Amino acid sequence: MQTKNFASWPIVLVLTAISLPLAIMYASLVIDSFTNTPAGAVLPNEFTLEHWAFLVDPTITGNVWTVTFNTLIFAFTMVVVVLSVSATGGYAMSRLNLPYRRFFLAGILVMHAFPSVTLIIGVFLVLQFAGLYDTLIGVILVKAALTLPFGVWIMKGFYDAVPWEIEMAGLQDGADRFTVWRRLILPQVKPGLVALGVFAFIDGWGEFLLPRILAPTTEFQVLSVYLNNVSVPDSVDYDFNLFKSVGLFYTLPILILFIVFQNRLMNIFGGGTKG
Amino acid sequence: MTDTASSSGGIRPDALVRPADPASDLEKAALKGRPKVSLLGLGMLSPAAVLLLVFFFAPVVLTTIFSFTNMTSATGISGGAYVLSPNLLRELERSGVDSDTLAALGTESVVVDQESIAAARAAGVEEDFLEEIEDDLLGVDFDSKQDFERALKDLPSHLRRTRDLKLAADHFLVSALNTRFATRAEASDAISALAPDIAPGTRDRILDASYTGWVWTTENFRRLATQPETLRLVLNTFFYVAVTLAFNVLVGLFLAITVFYLPKGTGMVFSVLWLLPRITPVVLYAIMWKWFTWDGGFVASFADLVGLPSFNYMKGSVPTAWTIVILVNGCIGASFGMILFSGALRSIPMQQLWASEVDGASRWQQVRYIILPQMRWPILFVTCYQSMSLLSSYEQIWLTTNGGPGNTTMVWALESFRTALSNYTGNLQYGQGAAMALVLVIVGLVLSIIFLRMFRFGELVEKPKIEF
Amino acid sequence: MQIVLKDFTKSFDGLTVIDKLNLTINDGEMLALLGPSGCGKSTTLLAISGILRVNGGQILFGDKDVSNLPSQKRNVGVVFQNYALYPHMTAFENIAFPLQVRKTGAAEIEERVREMARLTHIEPYLDRRPGQLSGGQQQRVALARALVRRPDVLLLDEPLANLDAKLRLEMRSEIRRIQLETGITAILVTHDQVEAMSMADRIAIMDHGRIQQIAAPEDMYHRPSNTFVAGFLGNPPIVFLEGKAIGNGAFESASGMRMPLPERLTGLAADQPIVMGVRPEHFGVKGRHTVRGTVSFIEPQGRETHFDLTVAEGEVLRSIQAARTDISLGSEVEWPLDVDKALVFDSEGNRL
Ligand SMILES: Nc1ncnc2c1ncn2[C@@H]1O[C@H](COP(=O)(O)OP(=O)(O)OP(=O)(O)O)[C@@H](O)[C@H]1O
Ligand SMILES: [Mg+2]
Repeated sequence: MQTKNFASWPIVLVLTAISLPLAIMYASLVIDSFTNTPAGAVLPNEFTLEHWAFLVDPTITGNVWTVTFNTLIFAFTMVVVVLSVSATGGYAMSRLNLPYRRFFLAGILVMHAFPSVTLIIGVFLVLQFAGLYDTLIGVILVKAALTLPFGVWIMKGFYDAVPWEIEMAGLQDGADRFTVWRRLILPQVKPGLVALGVFAFIDGWGEFLLPRILAPTTEFQVLSVYLNNVSVPDSVDYDFNLFKSVGLFYTLPILILFIVFQNRLMNIFGGGTKG
Repeated sequence: MTDTASSSGGIRPDALVRPADPASDLEKAALKGRPKVSLLGLGMLSPAAVLLLVFFFAPVVLTTIFSFTNMTSATGISGGAYVLSPNLLRELERSGVDSDTLAALGTESVVVDQESIAAARAAGVEEDFLEEIEDDLLGVDFDSKQDFERALKDLPSHLRRTRDLKLAADHFLVSALNTRFATRAEASDAISALAPDIAPGTRDRILDASYTGWVWTTENFRRLATQPETLRLVLNTFFYVAVTLAFNVLVGLFLAITVFYLPKGTGMVFSVLWLLPRITPVVLYAIMWKWFTWDGGFVASFADLVGLPSFNYMKGSVPTAWTIVILVNGCIGASFGMILFSGALRSIPMQQLWASEVDGASRWQQVRYIILPQMRWPILFVTCYQSMSLLSSYEQIWLTTNGGPGNTTMVWALESFRTALSNYTGNLQYGQGAAMALVLVIVGLVLSIIFLRMFRFGELVEKPKIEF
Repeated sequence: MQIVLKDFTKSFDGLTVIDKLNLTINDGEMLALLGPSGCGKSTTLLAISGILRVNGGQILFGDKDVSNLPSQKRNVGVVFQNYALYPHMTAFENIAFPLQVRKTGAAEIEERVREMARLTHIEPYLDRRPGQLSGGQQQRVALARALVRRPDVLLLDEPLANLDAKLRLEMRSEIRRIQLETGITAILVTHDQVEAMSMADRIAIMDHGRIQQIAAPEDMYHRPSNTFVAGFLGNPPIVFLEGKAIGNGAFESASGMRMPLPERLTGLAADQPIVMGVRPEHFGVKGRHTVRGTVSFIEPQGRETHFDLTVAEGEVLRSIQAARTDISLGSEVEWPLDVDKALVFDSEGNRL
């Protein structure tokens, strides 16, 4: 809101002050990956592309492109699972007659609110028993499942907003419930699917804990684990500028997605589970 | 053509009231018109149901079950075997088990029968030699290994080299030591054979001690209840949650309100900046904080520049470590508050604010008397939601201070995770970790149910309008 | 096709909303279901269309009991109040959808959609999406979609409620024209009496889940079966005077005002409690009885003027007359009352 009755510069000043650490961190993430800073100094003194050499030279940190590709597959598969299961589950929850429907809904909501990271020990044991420990498929399933209560709940919200009359009209027109869902309702919730998909992708792309713990030795390394491995700051010749370029490279896709879908995401973040 | 619906004619304003028919009729009618269970619905729900069952419900159950076991990576997670190791015997002796019995268990005896001969043959011992053993020594009792070896030497075609001879003799040695018995009965038989007059109580004790798999126990909870470390963890966790929560709510509120008052573009810059921590992958986010606060990092260099003490702020001192832990988590959570509060702000009718400005309210008064009172529910919501996720979050702490320096910034969730899945010694204590996690699971469940009650879950449930 | 509801009963969560309703819609007629909000009109309609299940009784299409058939097997066309057009499809695709679901050939779809578009006058807009159509055009598309598969019955749930006054007038006659042209059996749900009277062959008035009366519009207006129907039809509404018959063909109101009973009811026994209903058009123009009173309200309407005349404490008669300006508020007047046109009800509210 804006009226001319108040000046806004004092607010901007205070806001800038409290935002400064974040601003410096993100600015330096970008700047440092292209520059060198002499030891002990605060400001950089020369422009260089040397920190980006890891993109073409696999001897520096290993082949980053394979890892990127792995991450892409990981995040993408997870998005597909989350979207398809949430799209069907959310519809069933929102619109179809199910026994114990209230109970299901309450369960989903409890799981949505419930901090799922506490379950990791149990999940670890489940994977051990299922023989999926240390496999990519296991991690994807876990990640997707942990995102599901949120996804189903969000999709249910989007379905709830579609007028019942459209559904009724579809039935009158002779379509069965599945056709109605597929051809009439699903197109109405496309914004929801896009938002949830982007959200899940960002979430999956950044996931570290699950691959690290549930698939520690698999060949199929993802970027988060890769970045964590190359950036052990206790190692003798640690190089923050290198970590930053790798990090920036890692975050770039997410940043782009975030900027493109910002408005749609706001909605989702509000109901999001991340602390 | 006036055709009054005479059967139902007349004014019956009480038509909406339950008719006074017998209840059974009513129930039958209700049954008849009950919405059909949708098979499609069951089908569409089942993938979600299966995944949630396997990865939510089963983990909760397993966490509960295994919190009552002493499972570690040494015991394995499936069943174990019964093994009498020399180590174990020594331990038993130390704990007071009769040493003669133990000595009996430790003895080796020589058995020459078809079976042991076959085993030796399979291991490649010379055929001639074996035939002689079979002819001369089959069924003979030997008091010791030495006696047997001497007897072997007396055989015509005995092996030249002493070493070979000893190796061949080994095939006829029987010992309970280091043998894996798959079942308790087998192990029990073996013990009874070696020490026939062992007391049953002692035997059970040895059997229990020799089991390598996990066993049921309440030891985990007893340990949690008695060790002084627990209180430290609880206090740390409480401190961490309370302060981070306060940071989240206050900064979130501050951001929402200030952004609300700013021109759109300027406001956007700040809200995007504060949203970044939420979308930045956690590993990178942690690295950025490390760079910021590590020695040689920004803060250290800057402190150096202005003459303040320069050290590793993340791990160098307890107050700075806590500050950083709280900031790291707080900056992620603040945007959650910011988004929710901004939504609530937008729903305040503009007229109220304009009216107050006309009335000459200062901006502070506007916030204090108009905006804040309407923020009560969103604040409560954020508080509930965040306290739950903070209580169980450990990823950021793990990647930054990792509980350090010492264990000063260790919280319950991280300790539970570390005990079970990520400690340095390599012996992962699943049982103990599960017990700690169970505490969090219970707290989380109770909180989320209270939370649902508070925000009136019932109103969110609408019945399907299509009954076929 | 004739539609019959036999002892139709519907309850939600054990609360009976419609109890043993009987209703017959004749082949080819347009029947209006008229009633106040919440009386169960939509519920009845949704039960006929196969969205809601009946808790008791039967629904017959012709001789066939369809009570347990889902919508897809009933061949019913419905136009909803908000049209329920599929927003992601063009008008053409919307109309074609019912045919596509039935796997009709492309050529036939094309032909039948064009035919419907011609009937409903929307040919120029077939390529547009619902969002690019005006309310009236959307209404026509909805109508075309409901009719394109030649349903046995057309159900219209408050089809005009979302339109502005002028469009409503236009669509009223349009819908009627299309119904007559196709000869389809139709049920029109509305709470607007003018709509019901002007469009329907017969009107069924509902209240609290019961049919109060079924009759042709004129009949219903002039011979309402009870006070509810009488009060529901007519604007400004009828005025009721409570009182009793006092013998000799006369009526005495609660305040003691006396007037003659209509010719046909002079035989009413003395002391029988009754209610007189006087429509505004039957007071103030002509009649064999005169009433004195004070003008307490004047509402000029252009062509006509509405008056309230207070005749006694708590008793007000309403009059509608050709526009006049000679009367001022508070003036004492004596106006004629056409007592033979007055409606008389017993104490239960049924017309005598
Ligand atoms: N799904 C439902 N669950 C519970 N009660 C319902 C449901 N649908 C309708 N009702 C109740 O049934 C009664 C009739 O509702 P209905 O929608 O048929 O009224 P209506 O005559 O169409 O009213 P309106 O003119 O306002 O549309 C109302 O009292 C309503 O509250
Ligand atoms: Mg209705």
